[in-house]
Amino acid sequence: MTFTKQTSVEQNNGAMSALLRKSQVDIAGLEHKAKQIRNMILQMCISTGGHIVSSLSFVDILVTLYYGGNLNFDANNPEWEDRDRFFLSKGHGETALYAVLADQGVFPISWLDTRYRKGDCRLGGHPDKEIPGVEITSGSLGHGLGLAAGISLAAKMDNKAHLQFVLMGDAECTEGSVWEAALFASKHGLNNLIAIVDRNRIGSIDFTKNFTSLEPFCEKWKSFGWETTVCDGHDCKQLHEAFQNARSSDTSLPLMIIAETIKGKGIPFMENDPTWHVRSLSSEEDIKRAKEALRWQ
Amino acid sequence: MAVETKAYSIDMRDAFIKELYARAKAEPNIVFLSNEYGAPSLDIFRRDLPKQFINAGISEQNLISVAAGLALGGKKVYVYSIASFITLRCYEQLKIDLCSMNLPVTLIGVGPCYAYSVDGPTHHATEDIAIMRALANMQLYSPADSNMAAAIVDVSLQSTTPIYCRLDKGKYPLLYKQNEDLSAGFTVLKEGEDICIIATGMMVHRAIEIAEELNKYSIKAQVVDVYRLKPIDTRNLLSVVRNAKKIITIEEHTIHGGLGSIISEILTDANVFLPLKRLAVPDELLYTYGMRENIHREVGIDTDSVVKTILEWEQ
Repeated sequence: MTFTKQTSVEQNNGAMSALLRKSQVDIAGLEHKAKQIRNMILQMCISTGGHIVSSLSFVDILVTLYYGGNLNFDANNPEWEDRDRFFLSKGHGETALYAVLADQGVFPISWLDTRYRKGDCRLGGHPDKEIPGVEITSGSLGHGLGLAAGISLAAKMDNKAHLQFVLMGDAECTEGSVWEAALFASKHGLNNLIAIVDRNRIGSIDFTKNFTSLEPFCEKWKSFGWETTVCDGHDCKQLHEAFQNARSSDTSLPLMIIAETIKGKGIPFMENDPTWHVRSLSSEEDIKRAKEALRWQ
Repeated sequence: MAVETKAYSIDMRDAFIKELYARAKAEPNIVFLSNEYGAPSLDIFRRDLPKQFINAGISEQNLISVAAGLALGGKKVYVYSIASFITLRCYEQLKIDLCSMNLPVTLIGVGPCYAYSVDGPTHHATEDIAIMRALANMQLYSPADSNMAAAIVDVSLQSTTPIYCRLDKGKYPLLYKQNEDLSAGFTVLKEGEDICIIATGMMVHRAIEIAEELNKYSIKAQVVDVYRLKPIDTRNLLSVVRNAKKIITIEEHTIHGGLGSIISEILTDANVFLPLKRLAVPDELLYTYGMRENIHREVGIDTDSVVKTILEWEQ
């Protein structure tokens, strides 16, 4: 497989793709796009390694945001002042973000082949702000929510309508700074801030329940003054509805979308297995099985 | 050359905040963040400009992330706290959120080193220069009087990079005039050919005192105030100090990585081999606290000790 531009779903043709009505969105198209993005992630990770299972975990979330018209974003002008901002706080989901941004045309798709973790490296093992379309440098956890809270507050001060979407990992929520930001966001009524937790229940070496007390997770966020909603993080329809509701909501609170996911989703032998966080696809047999699982295109 | 006067200034932080208040009234884009830390001058800012003041609570990590987010959103951001907390407690946020994204946020750290002398090691910012200068893109200012503290406001408003400004507590004699041009980064406050004394912040006043004392022994000391610790105009500083017979740095900061280290590095890199003594806080003094003068005596950076050190060195 070589990377080529995919065009099967409504392409983000600038700001226009945003704010599609519920009835207009093509859920089957989103699912097809998600499959393409998973293939692109696999290709990148076969070639140079990378965080494969962490990325596979939230592909459907990212696709529903970027291709479902839920992110008001202009791929031709990624610095557009009034854009909605997407913050990848779990920086180890870089391959999914790079695949989407390249597919959207924000930077050349050839970079996935030639510049990810190799050569004249522009796409690192964690994203940085110098990359077109990337809002923040991430990789160390617990930064994204506070950064997004700051920009959400600036938007409020200036009466700007853009929204901030922050994607965090659930294990990331063991960082104290996450809860500092949670307190801050609710106090300041940042209803333009939407956090999504990729709730795959696995950290980098173990299941979260074996090393921390996240549960009752949803109630924790509620008690910190957040609106909360829980959905299936691999169901584009549910995700789309959650995002649509977030935009149309008249709440004065920040919103937490807890997306229940499976780490490694799409490649069954990697799914829900903590050991795959840092493993690379080295054996021919694993590569073959992974390709078969994704019905390699 | 600075003006020499015995006139006493106001507290440096009040001078800074008053100047910023005047600017912020005219510029609503200026936002001031604090972590539950106040000042009488800040009370006026809070009262008159409530939309531009945010008390972010005692959450230093989030404080810096929010400051960075506000800067990404186009705000001109100031973050105000006790020096020890705004440097150490949120160090990674400084590195990633501010410095790696090179955002023009100004950090105002009140009370470097032993300014909170009796409050113990939690409040002693004994390593702020060392750690803050290690951060890429970060500028460091260390004013010696309130006029300079106020003048740094203008520098920070023009800046395109993050700034750490360490402000001492208390009132010090004025060494500089209002609206001083700070582009040089250092000032020769006194000429003298026998020894060059280099200091920063409140220790500049100590250096002047030492020079006056040395005069009694017919030792002519040059006094240099390095008020911008990063970046330093190395070439110009070298041209000023390279003719000295010997150099002594005095600082209220750990011996590792502060002003003495900076001067030593500059001399070494330029192949200028002058006798250099670095007087600073030794490595083992973490749990030393009490009255500031007492600590200085223990460390050997009070006037008498430094003069004694220099006289012995002269022999």
